[in-house]
Amino acid sequence: MLEAISFGDAGWGDEMLMGAFWTVAVSISSILLGLVIGIIFAGFKLSSIRVLNLIAEFYTTIIRGVPELLVIYLLFFGGGSAVMYVAKIFGYFGYIELQPFVIGTLAVGAISGAYSTEVIRGAVNAIPRSQFETGSALGLKGFRLYQKIIFPQVARLALPGIGNVWQITLKDTALISVTGLVEIMRQSRIASGSTHEPFIFYTIAIILYLIITRVSNVAFDKAEIRYSRGFVKRKIS
Amino acid sequence: MKKINLIFISLILAISSTIAIAGDWSKIRIGTEGAYEPWNFTDSAGNIVGAEIDLANNLCERMNAECTFVQQDWDGIIPALTQGKYDVIMAGMSVTDERKKTISFSKAYMTEPARFFTLNSSPLSTFSSAKNLNLDDDGSATAGTISSLNNALKGAKLGVTVATIHEDFANSYLDTDLKIYPTQDEMNLDLAAGRIDAMLCDVGTAEAFMGTAGGANVVTFGPNVFGGPLGEGVGAGIRQSDTDLKAMFDKAIADAAADGTITKISMQWFGKDLAP
Repeated sequence: MLEAISFGDAGWGDEMLMGAFWTVAVSISSILLGLVIGIIFAGFKLSSIRVLNLIAEFYTTIIRGVPELLVIYLLFFGGGSAVMYVAKIFGYFGYIELQPFVIGTLAVGAISGAYSTEVIRGAVNAIPRSQFETGSALGLKGFRLYQKIIFPQVARLALPGIGNVWQITLKDTALISVTGLVEIMRQSRIASGSTHEPFIFYTIAIILYLIITRVSNVAFDKAEIRYSRGFVKRKIS
Repeated sequence: MKKINLIFISLILAISSTIAIAGDWSKIRIGTEGAYEPWNFTDSAGNIVGAEIDLANNLCERMNAECTFVQQDWDGIIPALTQGKYDVIMAGMSVTDERKKTISFSKAYMTEPARFFTLNSSPLSTFSSAKNLNLDDDGSATAGTISSLNNALKGAKLGVTVATIHEDFANSYLDTDLKIYPTQDEMNLDLAAGRIDAMLCDVGTAEAFMGTAGGANVVTFGPNVFGGPLGEGVGAGIRQSDTDLKAMFDKAIADAAADGTITKISMQWFGKDLAP
């Protein structure tokens, strides 16, 4: 048992940790990509331009309505073929491999982005109109208005929801093992298939996921406190 | 417009990593699962090892090719071949008609019958039948063995792994309740825990499990099953367009079988001769 999780060539400890590293790496890059998508599409949804509304609505409806695994399959198998098809039009007939990390980040980021869009849209909607008006009255316009007045308040309202999206994103990374990226899930499958000790390795996987979520919860709690300065924590009594 | 196209294509090239040009077989990329002991698996140092790895290296020497291994999850192993992630699959994959619709195969390099496994406490463990069940043989003996198997398995829950020749066989020949597993290991655990009454799989994989503490109570029963949907054996999967590569593998495999190399590798990893 201890031999199985020892470090170095005799055990799987280093491989499992490396898997955890990739899980964290994909999760972080996916949530960041998702936040960028979320901010842009929340803007689209709140925009008064009808076409932008429709684009954003189409995106969130499709991604949130389709199983995550399907989105990943589509990007992994379909994405590669699509890229090669385009390359053929330009006269390149070789094989182009999309890196599993890139595909994984795109797929999980696209999923995460759809949820972030809704969280950010909700948070912006919750900000009273008067805040925008006060900002204008102070002479702030456009980006400055958002930077100084709106964003800090959106962050406070969006953080609990984003924390939720983060946990979903973290767990979605388990699905990208199909792309060949050796993250925690794929590594546990390799180790259990090679040693016939699935119980040990899936248990280690559970522990690794729990450690990552626990640490990130602490970070999100800290951030929530930071962005809630000046607010009293309300409890239902 | 042209400018946008150029930006797009350079973006694509920027995120692409390996680029290979087909038709030149001095370098061959072999796709394998790396989690199917003893066929192909990963040692604790992270190296891919196993019977098929030894065999592939030997075949590549015969073909004067430089071989690299690419690990791929079983779920996407055929699409990744057709897309060109690697050129050959050597992953304990049985040659079947169903798979031949999508890819072609070299001649089989190893053959292994399927068998049923149960716990030694199960009434099924005492079931006796003909020694072999050859599904390519249409005689009455075949029908008799199948019906006695169906009688014995009445009301029992039989495990198979998903999208395997064993699932095909069970679907087309057996009436019993099937429980379909994504991996062999999950099926092993459920058999040991008594959640299924029996499982159907390759002899070698089950024997590897029987050698561990968790599989100590597992025994085999029934006939050796082969032919029909169970196919000719395990072969190398190759894209249908690469007929030259298939010819190279066919010849190398025939040579390796003839000079005893496959027998030697098989004895080393399986403890028995699986040479075709």
